[in-house]
Amino acid sequence: MAVYRRGYQRYDGPTTSHFARLMVMPRFSWERILGQRFVVILLVVSLFWPMLCAGFIYLSNHSELWQGFGGGIKKFLAINGNFFSIFMNVQSTFALILASVAGPGLIAPDLANNALPLYFSRPLTRWDYILSRMIVLLGILSLVTILPGMLLFGMQASIAGGDWFVHNWFLGTGIFIGFTLYIAMISLVAMASSAYVKWRVVAGALVLAFFFLLAGAAEMVNSIFRVDWASALNPTYAINAVWKGLLDVEIADDKPGAWECATVILGLSGGLLALLARKLRAVEVVK
Amino acid sequence: MSAVIEVDALRVRLGRREILQGISCRLGVSGAGKAIGLLGPNGAGKSTLIQTLLGFHKPSAGRARILGFDCHAQAREVKARIGYMPENDSFIGNMTAVAFLRLMGEISGLPKAAALEKAHEVLFHVGLGESRYREIGTYSLGMKQMAKLAQAIVHGPELVILDEPTNGLDPAARQRMLQLIKEMKEQHGMNVLLCSHLLTDVEQVCDEVVILKDGQIVHQADLETERKSNRRFVQLDVIGDDRGLAAALREVGAEGVSEAPGEWRIVLPADVEIGSLWPVASRERLQIRKLTHRRDTLEEIFLKAVGHIRRTPGDAPAEVPAHGRL
Repeated sequence: MAVYRRGYQRYDGPTTSHFARLMVMPRFSWERILGQRFVVILLVVSLFWPMLCAGFIYLSNHSELWQGFGGGIKKFLAINGNFFSIFMNVQSTFALILASVAGPGLIAPDLANNALPLYFSRPLTRWDYILSRMIVLLGILSLVTILPGMLLFGMQASIAGGDWFVHNWFLGTGIFIGFTLYIAMISLVAMASSAYVKWRVVAGALVLAFFFLLAGAAEMVNSIFRVDWASALNPTYAINAVWKGLLDVEIADDKPGAWECATVILGLSGGLLALLARKLRAVEVVK
Repeated sequence: MSAVIEVDALRVRLGRREILQGISCRLGVSGAGKAIGLLGPNGAGKSTLIQTLLGFHKPSAGRARILGFDCHAQAREVKARIGYMPENDSFIGNMTAVAFLRLMGEISGLPKAAALEKAHEVLFHVGLGESRYREIGTYSLGMKQMAKLAQAIVHGPELVILDEPTNGLDPAARQRMLQLIKEMKEQHGMNVLLCSHLLTDVEQVCDEVVILKDGQIVHQADLETERKSNRRFVQLDVIGDDRGLAAALREVGAEGVSEAPGEWRIVLPADVEIGSLWPVASRERLQIRKLTHRRDTLEEIFLKAVGHIRRTPGDAPAEVPAHGRL
């Protein structure tokens, strides 16, 4: 029977699980974000570099193709921590731009349209809301970070063979953990800026500015107090140091190490989470 | 039968102010499809009570339960059973009404297909069927109110909390909204908690009423019983010596109090005819200047409860103890 003829009846059928409810918002958001032409273009562009890297892996594993070149080429074409560190550095830039484009539209519209009471009057807590919004960004960003990274690692492992995998498995876990930490951090930055700034363009610029401002502040502290530890406050340096630690790439002795930097990143993420939780309330209480 | 809403010595503090000061009440009957009116002057604590029932505020003492579940400790169970229509504009930008309702339905636990079906169904039900593919941001105020009602009932909740549902509606839309609320309780068996400043709305729709003032319950009444009692009230203005009028009224079974010199307020029980006042006035040698006659309205109940008019003769003075129970 046509809907308009049927009349309203209360729903009394089975209900979905909590996890399914949690995934509803990401589904709707992905649909909306992937409907934006600029995001799709950005996603396509961000896959060029992984394709180049794939070509590089292919070349490095086919020595017959560069037999005529000198011995230095062998060292240059080696697939090791350095290679994946460079890959992650370039790819992280695309992820950051993507976060600054997709992130600001996540929370600001809900705050502007007073939609939070609608969400929080349903079986969805504030933390569920934050998690489901974060899943949106983690999903999109993993398309340009974790997914191509793991594909490249898998490609290298399959071409180079089991022996290479046994000696280099930590590169796979390093890519996964390193990228996860990074996209979690930039997702939180994008969500916090979306929660506090309602203009999308300004919020997007704030995501990029976050990295530049903290880098500048870290350098200032280093210069004024003639120290090196403040480099850990620079998110770009900190995440690079963590990646190098995970990929077994050498870090300069006078700079903060991977563990110190990881601690700073986790602290920073915790702070951003607290800021978000403070802002996202069903009702504004005037005390 | 258990109560829909049970509040026991509930205190809610926001900052340094105690908004709800130990209120206790039992409202509605689970599964009976009743409407409860929540009334009170501005700042009485109505919104805070609703928000506490929704789990938005943590009680500083006491507890609130909906359908037997604690609103704070079992918030997920409570929220799965209620629908909420907020007072202010609340929607999701850049979304058509169908998509919005589908999203709300799915978050409430409806499977994808059922949510889409219910979204269409409920939009036709509230009269937005023809505009269901329009973005909600482009709706008029009245249409937004209807969309808010639709999202509150899309998942078929047991209790629907409506905060000022007729705000900003023209008379025709207001009647439509009240009709929908009536249908919700009478045809679909939903319980309704209606918070409104418009007493006529509450009177038209509700079966029970709770009046809050300064964070305390000052009156709780079963409107059905009040209606059945069919008490009639007479406003009588007389000229002459009216000192014996109160006693003379008691002789015919009526009760009256003087509100000002020559101004009387009289309660007539169902078996006392209004015509019996004329012989009483004649015996007391009083000249009747004005006689107005009406049933006890919710407005009178409300004004009495909040202390804006004197109590009706025959009513016991409502003493509100410290914990707010009547």
